[in-house]
Amino acid sequence: MITLIRAIGQFGLFFGSLVGAMLRYGVPLRRITEESYRIGIQSLPVLLTINIFIGSILTIQGYISFGPLGARHLIGMFVALAGVREAAPLLAATMIAAKAGTEMASQIAVMNTREQIDALEVMAVNPYAFLVGPRLLGILLVMPALTTLAILTTVASGWAVATFQLGLDGQQFLALVAQTVTGRDLLISECKALGFGTLICLVSTWCGFRAPRGPEGVGQATNAAVVISSILCVSLNFLITQVFYG
Amino acid sequence: MADPFNGPPVELINVEKRFGSLTVLNNVSLQIPPGQTTAIIGPSGTGKSVLLKHIVGLIAPDAGEVRVFGTDMGRASEAERYRVRKRLGMLFQDGALFDSMPVGENIEFPLLQHRRDMTAAQRRDRVAEVLQMVELPGIEQRAVASLSGGQRKRVGLARAIVHSPEMVLFDEPNSGLDPMTSDAIDQLIGHLKQTLGITFIVITHDIVSTVQIADRVAMLYQGKLVAWGTVQEVVRSENEVVRRFFARNVQVEGEGWRLPGV
Repeated sequence: MITLIRAIGQFGLFFGSLVGAMLRYGVPLRRITEESYRIGIQSLPVLLTINIFIGSILTIQGYISFGPLGARHLIGMFVALAGVREAAPLLAATMIAAKAGTEMASQIAVMNTREQIDALEVMAVNPYAFLVGPRLLGILLVMPALTTLAILTTVASGWAVATFQLGLDGQQFLALVAQTVTGRDLLISECKALGFGTLICLVSTWCGFRAPRGPEGVGQATNAAVVISSILCVSLNFLITQVFYG
Repeated sequence: MADPFNGPPVELINVEKRFGSLTVLNNVSLQIPPGQTTAIIGPSGTGKSVLLKHIVGLIAPDAGEVRVFGTDMGRASEAERYRVRKRLGMLFQDGALFDSMPVGENIEFPLLQHRRDMTAAQRRDRVAEVLQMVELPGIEQRAVASLSGGQRKRVGLARAIVHSPEMVLFDEPNSGLDPMTSDAIDQLIGHLKQTLGITFIVITHDIVSTVQIADRVAMLYQGKLVAWGTVQEVVRSENEVVRRFFARNVQVEGEGWRLPGV
């Protein structure tokens, strides 16, 4: 318990130092665009792959569940509720935590091990502003776009399975998705995406900075980054669902 | 450019540092003279690197003062520490080069961060100039991963001097190098000292290197300063620990001393 409280305190100090450093030293635009590009391009293939399967799985499960009740036409609604509101944004976040988050943690932990962070300090460059600032703003730029793509992929793959595999009315499927998902739902999903992006970046870079020096420390940082950020993303998702839909 | 500082560039006043129950620096006081090469020597684990981290302000002392160009690094604000650090260069043990950048960008980095008055062409010229000084001309595009240990040190040194600092600190410049490369690095440090005429502080436990490059020597043992003076004075010290430390590599003869085989 004391360890947890201490870790929360350290994380708070880290966040405060980061905000202070970003305001004091600024963040170069070129580095933000580099990070956006890297995070987006890196995460896109795995994110799209996962969401193709999620849309397909939800559609098949919906078919199995609603079929015996004679409500196969409601599958579109099921995919919209489960996929668009919850699964797509959350799975997009966990995939980005696994791909971009672990890379952030391991890169910073390796830099720490090789004294490159000390070198930044000695060259009078604030490591938080230089290393975390661009990653944070970069991930915030791409998260809404990635989440939108994840949602579209989930719906498209669900529609494809419903139409071509299950022989359902594709137009009816899409019409039900459109009826069920409101602008408010999409706005909530995008806000979630921003929250998830912030958590993934802060947790992953923090794990990198506090890792013990050496190969073992790099492994610990990477592991902790994906576990902690995934748990926090799921918790945040639950909190948002409770507040807006509960 | 900062105002020239007339006092000793580094002054340690009764510095103490403990990690848990372990005392790493015990009441160390020292004034580093300007324009000279000072070697801080001692056996492994005796506090040399910790002392260096105090000088650059990465570690604050538990007691005492570490003054660099007159600024108390332990109590200075971040902005003040950064002002002092812009006047320093440091060569890290393994170079601490950024793997994500080629050699040229690594060396250009301090200029890009702090010399907004320089154009891209001026920065490129300066990078080429310092690469020439460390005898590695034309390797701007090389990846850091492709460099040998000695080349990494030289590129690290080029980055440390690219912004024309008033003092350069070296953390074990010979560690992990074969004797020939080690000797070449010593010669390079000696040459740069003559060319640049600035203060060098070298952390090392390499005796041969120490007597070849240093003007003055400070020896730490179990966190205490046990010897301080010119190479001649320290080599001929009556202190038993100092004598034992030098005995393997230096032969004292009459009024002088020599390095067997060198």
